[in-house]
Amino acid sequence: MKKTLLLTLLLASAVFAGAQEAGTPPQGMRGTPANLPDVSALGNITGYLSDDKSDTGRSDLGINEVETAFQGYIYPEMRADIILAIHKHDGKYESEICEAKASFLKLAEGLSGEMGKIHLDFGRINKLHTHHLPMVDKPQALVNFFGDHELAGQGGTLKYLLPFTPFYTQVQAGAWTMAPHEHGVTADYPEDVLNITGSTVSVPSLVHEDADFSPAGKVYTARINSSFELADKTELELGLSGLKGRGAHYEEHMDNVEVTGADLTLRLWPSAYKKFTFQNEWMHLKRVVPVGTLQRDGFYSFLNYRADKYWDFGARFDYAEGAWPTISYERALSAIVTRHLTETSYWRLQYKHRNLDGENSNEGWLQVSFGIGPHSHELE
Amino acid sequence: MTMEKIILAAAALAFWAGAARAEIKVVTASSDLKYLCERVGGAEVKVESLASGDQDLHMVEPRPSLVYKLKKADLVVRVGLDLDMWVDSLINAARNPRLFYGQPGYVDASVGVPLLEKPEGKVDASMGDIHIYGNPHYWLDPANAKIMAANVLAGLKRAAPDKAAVFEANCAGFIKETDERLAGWQDRMAKYKGLKVITYHSSWPYFAARFGLDVAGHVEPKPGIPPSASHLNGLVKKMKAENIKVILTESYYPRKGPDFLAGKTGAAVVTAAVSAGGAKDVKTYFDVFDRVIEGLEKAAGK
Repeated sequence: MKKTLLLTLLLASAVFAGAQEAGTPPQGMRGTPANLPDVSALGNITGYLSDDKSDTGRSDLGINEVETAFQGYIYPEMRADIILAIHKHDGKYESEICEAKASFLKLAEGLSGEMGKIHLDFGRINKLHTHHLPMVDKPQALVNFFGDHELAGQGGTLKYLLPFTPFYTQVQAGAWTMAPHEHGVTADYPEDVLNITGSTVSVPSLVHEDADFSPAGKVYTARINSSFELADKTELELGLSGLKGRGAHYEEHMDNVEVTGADLTLRLWPSAYKKFTFQNEWMHLKRVVPVGTLQRDGFYSFLNYRADKYWDFGARFDYAEGAWPTISYERALSAIVTRHLTETSYWRLQYKHRNLDGENSNEGWLQVSFGIGPHSHELE
Repeated sequence: MTMEKIILAAAALAFWAGAARAEIKVVTASSDLKYLCERVGGAEVKVESLASGDQDLHMVEPRPSLVYKLKKADLVVRVGLDLDMWVDSLINAARNPRLFYGQPGYVDASVGVPLLEKPEGKVDASMGDIHIYGNPHYWLDPANAKIMAANVLAGLKRAAPDKAAVFEANCAGFIKETDERLAGWQDRMAKYKGLKVITYHSSWPYFAARFGLDVAGHVEPKPGIPPSASHLNGLVKKMKAENIKVILTESYYPRKGPDFLAGKTGAAVVTAAVSAGGAKDVKTYFDVFDRVIEGLEKAAGK
């Protein structure tokens, strides 16, 4: 008996010596040869159809975006992610630094920080890259309030996991400098707007409505989000987000901007591959211009069912008010089918029925998204 | 009197807090690793698994409640070999300095396991969902549990060196039981040496190597790729030609493909939980082998 015990202990000790090796390297450490970062490329081919004859981008098929990522560790518990993108906008390809950030994973217990150019952590969708979205297009509320692209800033953010709550709660705050996307900004256009007394005022300095509206300049953000395990394999996530800054064309508009948001996501995993997601996000834009204050709301509700390892079926309802003085109302219903090939490759079909100020239109997309090489994102 | 009550309550609280601090909090990626940690750690540990036994470990979705589990853990034990890549983002999100790669609280259970199906040369997605460091389903050879337990032991000793003797004794007990059970399973499987089986996914090479099974094909044409009609028809021909009478499938995979093959060839389908908790009668790591061997015995005896 003693001999057996001794032998097993010896075996355990021998294997223990082997256990001193570190094991499989985590993401960010798997580029080969050993001193290379993880290098990956992602492509997004999109076909788009619309029965709106004024839509200049309709009946188009082609590569919409290419993203290249270099990801790796630069110091123990410090990693860098450089994501460069070439994307199509108004028929032309433009390159940009999508994100380039250094992440300090261990500033203190529960505290981390990021610096660089970063997609802002506002709500559930803004920080996602195109290939990670569960839909082809972004909900209209995000487009109206943040512009066509993900809202990204140069600056830094601190994230802290609260130690005393009996559930997951993270608070974060960031300070950013944000350049507006310049697409479509051609000249000043006079606009008639209602001032706070109810009379009409012509404001010559407003940029025409074909330009993107988005916050820009010095921008401050904050977010708190919590997660509750309601039952085994049932998770409820709640979040509140806030942003304060200026409008993208402040010199013309003199507009101060505040965006607040609330999000609720319920996820259920009834079996190994089946999954229900019910995601909702509400956003409120307050835009203070010299002649008054614009208050705008936007909302989307997204229901998705993952039927098995390969197929997703989703539906989305959008409600969005325009950010411009002449208010617009848009409602849309979308149906989305996704067939996953691998973790980073899939094809997707999406149909959308839009009603913009009473005008109906129908849109359809075919999307093929693919990835090559090791690619990772932080928890989303 | 009131003061006495306060002092007593404070003492009880201090005792409770002290007791709570003494417990080593371990979070594992899989339910099998949870079982191993409980065996090696004994009463000194409190173990939670991120994935349940009925989940496909390739497909676990990282979510905030899992971050919360890792936030205060002393030890994280993962499967490794890319099967649980989702653990990386959870560790980073938890910002627990003990659990980062290479830190004392980080345990990769695969270290030291003799690996099978380690690809050589270039690897890309044309080969399916291939694991570049080797096949990660190594826990399905019960002999590997001894190596996994040794890795867990090393982690626990780093977390609580003062309890090393307890952990070593527990580990030795676990290894002894594994050896005894393994001998019994090998006896039962001896008569099926060379038995040809079709498996759904390439989850069983370690099990097959240990018990002498011959995996003649997979329902998936390549790892992670769903079966096409032509692939299934090819398997039907192969099964008929080689008289393959057993299809072994993991409990979470769809039965459509295996049932089609069984219908065309008369083969028996063995649906097996690959992890503890993967089925009602599979509560422990050892139950996994008890049930799959029972299933194979029934299927091969038909």
